[in-house]
Amino acid sequence: MTLCRYLLGRDFCYADRTIFFGGMGKFSMATSENRKASLKVLSEEEAVTLAAIAERIFPKTDTPGAVEIGAVNYIDVALAGDYAALAPLYRQGLRAVQRYSRAKFGKRFFELADDDMDGVLRDFETGNADTFKPAGEFFETVRYHVLEGVFCEPQYGGNKNMIGWRLVNFPGQQFGYPDPYINKRVDVEPVAVDTRKAEGK
Amino acid sequence: MSKAEGIADVCDVCIVGVGGMGGILAKDLASAGLKVVGFERGPAPKKEDYAPRDSIRFLIRPQTLDWVRHEPTTTRRKTGDKTNLQYRTSPLNVLGGALLHWTGQSSRYTPGDFKLHTNEIESGNAERAKADLSGYDIIDWPLSYDELEPYYEKFEWEFGISGQAGANPFAGPRQRGFPLPPLRHSGKMQLFAEACKKLGYHPYDTAAGIASEPYKPAAPFDTRIGQRPACVYCGHCNFYGCHVHAKSASLYIAIPVALETSNFELRTNSKVYRINTDSSGQVTGVSYFDPDGAAREQRARVVILTAFVFEHARLLLISKTGKGRFAKGLANSSGYVGRNIMAHGDVRAMGAFDDFIVNGFIGPGSAAMRIDDFNGNNFDHTDLGFIRGGTIGTSGDGTPVTRLDVLPPGVPGWGKEFKEFYTRYYTRTMDLNMQPETLPHPANRVDLDPRHRDRWGLPLPRVTFEFHQNEQRLQKYLAVVGDKIMRATGANKVWTEEKGRPNRWAGGTRMGADAKNSVVNANCQTHDVDNLFIVGSSVFPTMAGYPPTATVAALTYRLADFILRQKQWFK
Repeated sequence: MTLCRYLLGRDFCYADRTIFFGGMGKFSMATSENRKASLKVLSEEEAVTLAAIAERIFPKTDTPGAVEIGAVNYIDVALAGDYAALAPLYRQGLRAVQRYSRAKFGKRFFELADDDMDGVLRDFETGNADTFKPAGEFFETVRYHVLEGVFCEPQYGGNKNMIGWRLVNFPGQQFGYPDPYINKRVDVEPVAVDTRKAEGK
Repeated sequence: MSKAEGIADVCDVCIVGVGGMGGILAKDLASAGLKVVGFERGPAPKKEDYAPRDSIRFLIRPQTLDWVRHEPTTTRRKTGDKTNLQYRTSPLNVLGGALLHWTGQSSRYTPGDFKLHTNEIESGNAERAKADLSGYDIIDWPLSYDELEPYYEKFEWEFGISGQAGANPFAGPRQRGFPLPPLRHSGKMQLFAEACKKLGYHPYDTAAGIASEPYKPAAPFDTRIGQRPACVYCGHCNFYGCHVHAKSASLYIAIPVALETSNFELRTNSKVYRINTDSSGQVTGVSYFDPDGAAREQRARVVILTAFVFEHARLLLISKTGKGRFAKGLANSSGYVGRNIMAHGDVRAMGAFDDFIVNGFIGPGSAAMRIDDFNGNNFDHTDLGFIRGGTIGTSGDGTPVTRLDVLPPGVPGWGKEFKEFYTRYYTRTMDLNMQPETLPHPANRVDLDPRHRDRWGLPLPRVTFEFHQNEQRLQKYLAVVGDKIMRATGANKVWTEEKGRPNRWAGGTRMGADAKNSVVNANCQTHDVDNLFIVGSSVFPTMAGYPPTATVAALTYRLADFILRQKQWFK
């Protein structure tokens, strides 16, 4: 599976010519042709950095993590639309994360060990990464958006196959609940409704 | 389309804001034969605009909604602070207004809630409590619970409110029960009720503007109102429109009846930007921008503002005249326009259960139990350092994307520990919501922002608001009570949020007996201008520990009655 496909969870993103950027470790890159077909706002490098951050925010354990659930795609789609005004913050923030990682560890962010990535993110979260003034704001924005991408209605490009909902046992956009489910697990298959389709938009 | 064609140059009544309350006024006034023109700055929404069960659209990105994004306020804590732009979901700039997406908590105020000056200050309560009331500006309402009671009843029976009369020992007297039984009980209601009984408190079902059974009003109430289906408990309720129309909303209860009368002309996407006056000091009508942005005028015998707290103050201040009696703003000879705004300072207590699956996402939000044991003056305040109280009730509905901040101390907001907690406990948490009363303080106010303007070029309302000493003490106290109740539910982890978050706005054009320190009288009529009325929570001189909606609706029905008695105005 290409990174592109992995990041975005989009079926049209095929992998006939996958190239590997030197040193990108566990992340591989799709071709620029694929990128045009898939990433809307983020560059490849930005997407890779964001994916690495997303995986630290909602990591893969014995269950899927943020990237597999589609959080990077959610953010890319949102930055092309409702969150367009935040694109500059993402650009600068992702660059700042790379800069900070190089200065502190001599490596790019996505090359770091998990604990070191967490350390960088904690420095951003607490504002200790003072080379980037809105570090705290940037981290909080990304943290929140990644989790939106994990738990959103799937029509927004995240929560692929309703994995996010399944993980917390939320059955989605049900029409209603004939049973109050008092102290018992809700035992119905989750439902997603694409409200844009329903509206003919 | 409105059936009313060719309303004369001068209409009888012009309603500014056809929201929940504007819809009620339009129905009752047009039904009695008055020629009514209603201005709504937002669009007429289709069901697919308001009813999708879509939490990203309505809760995460409300500022992208057409009916939220055009009229933000600027906000600051106190004079001299820098302001922030704030998008708000109340008011909702859409036909039918905030009753489209309200939670539906439909509590009446109690008799004591109307007499704060008498009951708290003159009685010596404040002194016994050792409360510090410096800076506050507390007055009694100029009307009583008994005068409003028939109108509470009318709202409950026309809008189909679910509830149980007699269940709350602190409630005021009522002539008639509720038209519908309480909503189905959920896990969190059960936990709360058991805990409260254990502690000796008095839990009751919150009156809810959600139909527990199919409902259609019968005589003596308005039988033209159509039937509504019962709630399906989907849980997409608070901030969403209702996809089955079980929620009590003017859009499909009052407004269609008004339009059927032939006496009501509705102008949507029409923004009133000025209230006009003549040299005699009477209101002559309004100026507005039509849907194409052209400036137009509508003349009227009576103008009623029903456009929410921020817009009322803004419109009156914008409508000032260069000199003379309205130089400080229309109906503002007292200088009280915009003053004494209030908001509950909601605090929360949260619990997570190892042995109980709460499934809090099953709705509706107003299927809730409450206690009034710590509301108003229902408990001993001796030496507590504050007066008044707040109601405490169950809450904690919401999809996973809306409850990301419901984390006990020590659980980080991201990483493996977050994932472990959230995936295990999302269905196993519940909240208690406390609605502490906030006292009127003149420093809390709305005025015109000197720099920021809206898309029509009008100055934005600037909100200056902070909680003062009485609120801070009360909020802390209620958080402790909430913590105690939550522990009694058997929750394994309990934590609280004791700093109030402003919610449910009121004040700014308060009613009072004295024209020197209030803007309107008991009939919602401005002291300064006979034919100008204001209705909404903005007229509240004090706010109780309950949501304001039922009281606003009662005032609205009462205002309609008052206007219809002024036959001499409409010859």
